[in-house]
Amino acid sequence: MRLEVSTRPRPDPLSGAALRARRWPATVRAILDDAVGGLRRNGLMAAAATTTMAIALAVAGAGFVLSANLSHLAAILEAQVEVVGFFRRGLSPARQQQILEAVRALPDVRRVTFIGKDDALRRLQQTYGAMASVRSLLPGNPLPDSIEVRVADAGRVRAVAEALGRTDGIEDVVFGAPVVDRLVALTRAVRIAGGALAALLVASALLIIANTIRLTIAARRQEIEIMTLVGATAGFIRGPFLVEGALQGIAAAVLASVLLVAAYTGLANAASTSLPFLPLLPPAAVVPQTIGLIWLLSLAVGVGGSAIGLRRYLAT
Amino acid sequence: MIHFDGVGKRYATGVVALQDVTVRIAPGEFVFLVGPTGSGKSTFLRLIQRIERPTAGRVVVDGIDLGALPAAQVPFLRRRLGVVFQEFKLLADRTVADNVAFALRVTDADPAEIGPRIQWALELVGLADRADDLPARLSGGEQQRVCLARAVVTRPAILLADEPTGNLDPEAAWELVHLLSAINLRGTTVVVTTHNPTLVDILRRRVIELHAGRVVRDEARGLYQTAP
Repeated sequence: MRLEVSTRPRPDPLSGAALRARRWPATVRAILDDAVGGLRRNGLMAAAATTTMAIALAVAGAGFVLSANLSHLAAILEAQVEVVGFFRRGLSPARQQQILEAVRALPDVRRVTFIGKDDALRRLQQTYGAMASVRSLLPGNPLPDSIEVRVADAGRVRAVAEALGRTDGIEDVVFGAPVVDRLVALTRAVRIAGGALAALLVASALLIIANTIRLTIAARRQEIEIMTLVGATAGFIRGPFLVEGALQGIAAAVLASVLLVAAYTGLANAASTSLPFLPLLPPAAVVPQTIGLIWLLSLAVGVGGSAIGLRRYLAT
Repeated sequence: MIHFDGVGKRYATGVVALQDVTVRIAPGEFVFLVGPTGSGKSTFLRLIQRIERPTAGRVVVDGIDLGALPAAQVPFLRRRLGVVFQEFKLLADRTVADNVAFALRVTDADPAEIGPRIQWALELVGLADRADDLPARLSGGEQQRVCLARAVVTRPAILLADEPTGNLDPEAAWELVHLLSAINLRGTTVVVTTHNPTLVDILRRRVIELHAGRVVRDEARGLYQTAP
């Protein structure tokens, strides 16, 4: 059964359905007008809610940036790990080349470098300047030719070292096993901690924003109650609140984005000049994703939070 | 217009608000619903608005069986009803005209009709010159008249008033009941719950008395209390 808008004592010549179809654009406009009007009337509340949302979003974004940087730091540390294999003396250059190709083909190998024994001695002398005179005491170069292997994943160092050790023509393999093991554990912990921190901050932001929306809706419960009692449909009641939630979400996202971009760009610039050893990600590498996250969160929570917050008031 | 057939209402708390109530209110009638606090008067009105559903019996309003009415259609039922509340329920941050317009704007009214209808409703309750005031600048009686204007601006078939004079001084109460009578004369069915014996006794309209959720008296031209 379909009820129509009462028109007594002067009946409306149009049927209710036709009336609603004709007024659909007007209804959308009324919802938008109501949303803007609602924001204007509840200006202080809306401003407080938007600011709270912006701060929560900025903190969540900062958590994401921090997590990305920790992950970047872990990747840099892991990239330093290398396996060195020493060639058996007297191996022909052709055989050495074969071995190099074979090692390059191993899975997880990122880069393979041949270090001739003369280069190795030069490096040793550069690294330990005090030993520079040792060369003159020795009859010849005691160092062997070697191969330096960088792996893509520090966790795979042991496997690569073992494969290298099994290669015919490689006499010895060095990779600092305990250090690598500790490094792998450390970078894993750093990644997990960074991810957990970001998730925690995002979850806190969601809770704060949801609660802020709940409070703004509770403050207008009488308006919602009157709407339901005079016959506004649930969609009509929900509409302006959802639009308001989205508008507040957008405003908060703009604020949070500006705040975060300014803060991170400033920090990255300062770090590159004052703390060059601190390997911060360049803003272009992390800011777009962070802004994307902020916008996604703000819209989802602005609209979703409003819809959920309204549910209890639309029960009757 | 309003039919209650053997209606009972027991709330989830176990409280029995109405028991076996059978009442028929014809179109255009003016009915006072009287009885002590907790006798079921407000529940009676809430059942008509489908805020509550009966736990026994059947409620039919304007030909619609409310038990069979889908939730999505409830707003359209409520558009046939005007409601006046004891505590006014006006939006403090909106003008008198905006409060009255509210009922039209949220119910898909034709925007071109809103202005003339507000004017009509405010003239009906004698507040056309206060259209731009905020409710806080109005007396209690005036605020209740704004509430009445909001209730009738949609031209409802039925007007429900829950203790409309409860917060008013005698003069304002009399003015309000006078307005309710005038609206009733235009063909609107009016149901008023009240604790005000004077108004009931002067108007001598149909009186339905509830006691502990049961109809104990139903008189065509009744008094607030049964004559000794």
